[in-house]
Amino acid sequence: MQRPILWIHGEALGPANPALQAYPGRPAVFVFDAALLAGCSPTTGDPAGAAPQAVSLKRIGFLYECLLDLPVSLRHGDVAAEVLAFARAHGADGIVTSAGTDPRVEAICQALEQELPVEVLAPEPFVELDGPVDLGRFSRYWRRAEAAVWRRFTSGPA
Amino acid sequence: MAPDSLAGVALAWADQPGDLPRQFESRQALEAELRRLFPAAEGPLSPIRGGRRQAEALLDRIQPARYAKGRNFLDGPVTRLSPYIRHGVLSLADVRDAVFAKLQAPGGGGRQVGEKLINELGWRDFWQRLWQQLGDGIWRDQEELKTGHHPGAYAAELPADVAEGRTGLACMDGFIAELHATGWLHNHARMWLAAYLVHWRRIRWQAGAQWFLRHLLDGDPASNNLSWQWVASSFSHKPYFFNRGNLERYSGGTFCRNCPLSEQGCPFDASYEQLEAELFAPMPSIRAGNDRSRERRDPRRSGSSPGPSAALSRPARRP
Repeated sequence: MQRPILWIHGEALGPANPALQAYPGRPAVFVFDAALLAGCSPTTGDPAGAAPQAVSLKRIGFLYECLLDLPVSLRHGDVAAEVLAFARAHGADGIVTSAGTDPRVEAICQALEQELPVEVLAPEPFVELDGPVDLGRFSRYWRRAEAAVWRRFTSGPA
Repeated sequence: MAPDSLAGVALAWADQPGDLPRQFESRQALEAELRRLFPAAEGPLSPIRGGRRQAEALLDRIQPARYAKGRNFLDGPVTRLSPYIRHGVLSLADVRDAVFAKLQAPGGGGRQVGEKLINELGWRDFWQRLWQQLGDGIWRDQEELKTGHHPGAYAAELPADVAEGRTGLACMDGFIAELHATGWLHNHARMWLAAYLVHWRRIRWQAGAQWFLRHLLDGDPASNNLSWQWVASSFSHKPYFFNRGNLERYSGGTFCRNCPLSEQGCPFDASYEQLEAELFAPMPSIRAGNDRSRERRDPRRSGSSPGPSAALSRPARRP
């Protein structure tokens, strides 16, 4: 991609965001997700629940203050539609973002890909574990992860 | 601009019509603008401010040794980093490296001092991995309940007295007021409130989880929902509950001193055996290894209890 725009989402509002690191200075956008803030997505509301409830202003304000620290335009509405409109306005040839845990991030990437190529960059993990990890209980995960985390402590820089 | 002004970093590209503002004369002006933009969002701003500077200040203040000893107390030295971690202002890798640097500094104490804190970061990573695996299934019971009650015995909606913070219990009403006002609660308070709602009031954990997600600055369905499931027993071997002695100790007695039910009528004022009999239907699997399981639920005796920095990160723990 020669002229990408960056889509910043709510799991990566810091300088470690790999999209910001890989493409410094490129136009970037964050979209306040109308459905999510209305409690109508599984990120904020029980999908089997009868009554969606809007997220409180506290959470929006916290996000807003984090976002003022980043070079990012702010929009409100349908995320994919707003990101694509931002891409068109900047004549972008692609969209770069960071991988998210929330399945909503992947769903939005799929919607974006209908129009433009999307590059998803992985943030630095807490611990790298090869192969499948047994997540049945924390103890099973930690049995493998603990040693791997602390390996950095003894071998890494002070 | 005024000292209280909020100015976003400058953008290297032109504004488009419909862009939201990035300059405010004051935090009050930000709040007014957000009310206009998001009319469905209730309440005031949190006194907890977003931003990298706040996150770094908290990171500087981490004390791994004190954390390991005192984190279960409501006034203990917990990091309060969870909102910043949840939204990636700091990554778990950032926090890990900052903790390592403190441990390796002269007088830092080395690995042993930091094990508890790194373990708590591991809990967040664990919940995130599970969210990745479960997707939106994170809203469903992961296992059968071990309370002896049918899932249909739990009410679907949050009762009004809970939603409004007027249960009459000084502790619970205090936690609810803090949740609503700040969007943050100490993990131990989250556990007590969750256990009260699910076991004493017999409400579906999903109703409580959704309520928390509306308010918690660090709310995500990973740490939040799975910890509610841990309390409810759909993601653990047994339900989590507590008694007055436990709450009184870790809250420094502040709530009980001012509670109208302190002398009579406190629903938590009983032994673990009495509460277990009262709250749960007989279930052989709960009672297996009775003594040991009771001990593990009582942090005073096991020496291992709840209280990480993350969203209800994970209640008590077991060996």
